Formats: sequence, C-alpha cells, structure tokens
Amino acid sequence: MSKTVGIPKGLLYYDFYPMWKTFFEGVGAKVVVSQDTNKKILDEGVKNCVEDACLPVKTYVGHVINLKEKDVDYIFIPRIVSVERKKYLCSKFLGLPDFIKSLIGDLPPIIDMEINMYRDDTSIKKEAAKVGRMFEKNKRQALKAYFNALEEQKKFERLLKRGFTPIEAIKIWEGNRLTRANKNYEIKLAVLAHSYDIMDEYISMGIINKLRDMGAEIFTMEMLETDVILEGASMLSKDMFWSYERDILGAGLHFLKQKNVDGVIMVSAFGCGPNSMTEELLERMYKRDKEMPFMLLTIDEHSGEAGIMTRLEAFIDLLKFKKRAVCV
Amino acid sequence: MKITYPHMGSLNMILKTMFEGIGVEVIEPPPTTNKTLSLGVRNSHEFACLPFKINVGNFIEALDKGADTIIMLGGIGPCRFGYYGHVQKEILKDLGYNFNMIIIDPPHGRLIDFLKELSSYFPNVDGKTALKSFLFAVKKMLAADKLEKFLLKHRAHEDRRGITTKIYEEYMKKLDKAQNGKEVDKIVADAMKKIKENANVYRKVQLRVALVGEIYMLLEPFTNMDVSKALNELGVEVTKTEYLSDYLINSAFKLPQRLEFKKNGKGYLERDIGGHGLNTVANTIKYAKLNYDGVIHILPFTCTPEIVAQGIIAKISRDYNIPVMSLVYDENTGQAGYQTRLEAFVDLLYRRRVNAV
Repeated sequence: MSKTVGIPKGLLYYDFYPMWKTFFEGVGAKVVVSQDTNKKILDEGVKNCVEDACLPVKTYVGHVINLKEKDVDYIFIPRIVSVERKKYLCSKFLGLPDFIKSLIGDLPPIIDMEINMYRDDTSIKKEAAKVGRMFEKNKRQALKAYFNALEEQKKFERLLKRGFTPIEAIKIWEGNRLTRANKNYEIKLAVLAHSYDIMDEYISMGIINKLRDMGAEIFTMEMLETDVILEGASMLSKDMFWSYERDILGAGLHFLKQKNVDGVIMVSAFGCGPNSMTEELLERMYKRDKEMPFMLLTIDEHSGEAGIMTRLEAFIDLLKFKKRAVCV
Repeated sequence: MKITYPHMGSLNMILKTMFEGIGVEVIEPPPTTNKTLSLGVRNSHEFACLPFKINVGNFIEALDKGADTIIMLGGIGPCRFGYYGHVQKEILKDLGYNFNMIIIDPPHGRLIDFLKELSSYFPNVDGKTALKSFLFAVKKMLAADKLEKFLLKHRAHEDRRGITTKIYEEYMKKLDKAQNGKEVDKIVADAMKKIKENANVYRKVQLRVALVGEIYMLLEPFTNMDVSKALNELGVEVTKTEYLSDYLINSAFKLPQRLEFKKNGKGYLERDIGGHGLNTVANTIKYAKLNYDGVIHILPFTCTPEIVAQGIIAKISRDYNIPVMSLVYDENTGQAGYQTRLEAFVDLLYRRRVNAV
C-alpha cells in the first residue's frame, strides 16, 4: 500500500496545490487533503495556536490537526523561504514547520521540504531527491516527479491568467467542469489580498462570490500577468522584498494607474504584519490620486457576516452610483 | 543640514557623539513620552508595531524642533522593519513636512558597507575625523552597555529602593557629556564602584531571569515600561539578551553569532526567520541550560517573527522545565496590569525554588 501524505488546506495550498499533488503522486504517495475549513477546524486552530498569530495561521493549525485525526503517514508542511530570486516570504513561512511542531504534539512525521529560491533554484532539486528517498525512489525518479510537477503548475497558472480564481483553477485542474458565468457584470472590481485570506470560503465568508452576486466582475492579483505586476511595483521608491506583498502593491498600483476597474478592495487578516505596510502605502497613494474608490476590509475569527455584508453592499452601491452618474 | 534619528536605547547619545564629532548639526529627538506615542499612533497603521509608531512620533517631534534630515536604517527582509523608513517617509510627507530622509540599506548587513554608504552623504568630512568620532561613539556605546549590564545585576540588591537607578542615571548623563576616552573609562569605573557600594542586600534565594525578545522593545525602557527595573525592584537579577553593541558586533561579524544561534536553536528553529525570532529561541534555550529561574519574552503586538518564536519557546519551556512568560506590548498596554503579571511570575519562580530546595 502506498503511503499517504496529508496536505493542509491552508496558506500556500491555494498557490501551489497542483504542483505539490503531482510531485507526491510522482514519487508514489497518495495525497490526502484536509477538509474544507469549518467551525471545528477553526476552533481547534484558535485553541492550539498562539493568540497573536494571524487568522490564516490559526486556520492552518486547525487543518494540521484535521490531518492528524485522519491518520495520514506524513504531513507536508514546507518551509517556503523564497519563491523567486532576492525575495522572501513573510517570516511565518520561514519557521512554519518548527512552529507547527512546537504547537501540536504527537504529529506523524513532517515533510518539511525547504523551498528557497533566494539565490537560485538548485536547492529544490536536492530537497526533491531527499523527499523521493523517503518514498524509496531514486534521484532520477524524484526529479522526474519534480519536473512533472512544474509542468502541472504551469497549466494551473494559465487557468489563473484566464480569469479563474485559484480555488476555481484547482477545481478545473482536478478535472471538474467549470465555466465562468457569462453574466453581465455591471462593474469591475479588484480584490487585493493574500490568496489564503480570500480563497478560504469559511474564513473570508465567501467574499468573492458575494461580490459577484452583487454584480461585480472580480480581478485578483493572480489573474494579472507578471510583467503588469512588476510594472506597477516599479513605481515604488523601494523594491518590496516579500513576493506576495510586492504582488499586492504592484497590482494595486497597476489598477490605480490604468483605471481599468471601478474600485479596489483590499482584504487582510487581523494583525497581519506585512499587510500593515502595503495597506498603508496603497491607501495613501489612492487617497492622493482621489479618483479610484478604495476600501480596506479586515477579517479575523470574530468577523460577523452581517457586518461584512453591509460594508460590501455599501461599497458596491457607491461604485454603481458613481458609474451611472458618470454615464449620465 | 540638521540631522535627527529615532530613539533606541542609548542610540541618541552614540549618534550625537558621532555626528557632532564630524561637525554635523544634530537635533536630538525629544525624549519619548506619551505625547510622542500618541502622535505616532494617530499617524500610523493600526497593525504597524509599537516601534514603528514611536519612530513616527520621534520624527514628528524632531521635525517640529527644526530637523530637516532623518537618518533611518533599512533592510532587505524578511522582517518588515526593512520597509519602515519608506512608509514613514510617506506618512510624514502627507503631514506636510519638508525634509530629506536618508535610509541606509545594509546590502549584506555588513558594518563596513554601512559606514561607506553613510559617509557618502557627508563628502566634506575627511576619513580620519570620521573614523575617530565613530570609534569614540562606539566606545561610549560599549561603556553604556557595560554599565547597564552591571546595573541589572546589582540593582536587585540595592540598599534603598531607587538609589542605584539614581546613580545610574546620574552617570549616564556624565557619559553623555564625556569628551574623551579617558573620561569615559573613569565614569564607568566610578559608577560601578558607587552602585556596588549601595547594593548589599542579599537574599537566601536569589532569582535570575533572562529577558529575551525583540531588540527595540528590549532597548527602550519607555516601550517596555522599564521591565528590568520592575524585576530588579522585586529582587530579581536580570540578564538582558540584546544590546546595541551586540547588534553592532553582529552586523560587523555576522557569521559567528549566527552559528552560535543556529547551534543553540537546533531542534526547535532551524533557520533565521527575520527580526529577532531566532535570537529569542536560541537565547531561551541558552538560559534554560544555564539554569536560570525563568525567561521573560518581550515583543510588540503583531510582530510576526516573535509570534513564531512565542509558539516555539512554549515548547522549550515544557521540555526544559523553565517558566516562560511572554509580554506583548501595544499602545494600550497599562502599567498596572504588567506589574501584576511580573509579581505573579516572580512569585511562581520563588515558590518553585523554595519547593525544590
């Protein structure tokens, strides 16, 4: 029987799941994903995590516990230091396996593969070979699985560029039929956020779908081509050293300059350190520009759906009103 | 050019010595007070950390006093501190201030690069004078740190409450005014002698606590509500794990310290995660092994590296059987609440020792 590897459905799951799944299946493992976030998962996460950790980290802890209960043979908690040259990820990713191991006792063996492309990507091949050995595969087999994984990741990313959100793209990649609703959207709206803050339907209370139901076509930073983001980010006085914050800033500045959406919402998790910098900068730049409506939305484990809905509705009303006023 | 910079422990004294040594006018930021804090809080993002907010307050007060150039450190991550200067610049610009901000990004965190870049802003200063005033500033820094280490041990034994603090502050003022190396040496020697003379209360059970955590919070008594004084006055000897001189030495000779931390942190945190996260974990293990009675972890609210460290040191606490307490500070922190927690913690340490004996 092949060994099972559990992948927690949180944090960078939404950015790399197709790659991870392909890789582990390539080395002969069976992949098990934790359940969608629910009350129990979130409660377990909150209970077992440090009080001041951000919402997505608390949720992630809940997912790891969920996998532990599923009796998987391994849990995959990568240490993602850097996903491109000269850029880092937020500190929590750098210490994630250590942090989780300290919080939760009696875990099955953790696969804490280090992904670090700060200098180059050669170290990943070494890490891939190391993981391959855990599943009794030789280096050649492990590398083959790694390269297949890269291919699948590209397929997945092409879906994102076609305008699917990461969670939709994952579903399509897994073979589900999913067509974009050919609705006549009244307004265009950019939603800037870390994927783990808005893709998890439970913690974000399905913000994306709610906005679509209100008649907004949604654009996320994942849907933008890299050069567009880089062009936006080049307007900054200092290059941002975190990849995903750079993406948020770059996308934000792109929309601000091109004015190709009617409004922008930035969603962040309570207490998110990196977001406190990007939000501050974006908000100031949007205020100085004075033209593009901009709203900040903070979510945490206590967010009430009614409050969020009211704010979204008010914002959408404002955008629709503004648009009609311009037309007339 | 009228230069200013943020407060951070004895940094004011050091930078003032350095810049005045090369003939640059310095506008000292007024001492950090509640007014500074509220200026910072009002103009910063809610989730920016306390150091960021106090920096903003320091800058506003110094600009109001007439400063026109701000010196700030940068960084390349992963701690957000590396972006502070740039965000603070935008905040101050929106407030209508006209100033120049020099943000020094240490390319590889090496001291020599730092000095090179800094000197490029002062083309009229000759290298010899610059080096001389830099070395004198470093001497003062080492003296200040030495004195503080001495204080944190001996204040726990002071004969009269507050007497050593008074002596320490008096000599720090003298140190600030010192004009040459000889004077500095004499001030340190005198101060140590005088503190020692006034610290003769010895207890049967002497508690020792290590303070670990984020460097700014550890260095700034205003932000941590002078936690070391509060502990000393409860009769506890304190070892602070971060000093400005450590910071300087570590920036200049990065490797040895990193190796030491990596060795100490092994099994708990396998790599540097930015900020002082690894330091916190490694130091907690170090002082647990040295049989300290407890560890107090100081961090600002929303500090990601320290939050990761917080989760990890909870496990170290269980594994090494050493009490660890985290104190998270933000602008709403009340002194009384923290005093109560410190007293309860010290009580617990005391009872553990008495029961163990």
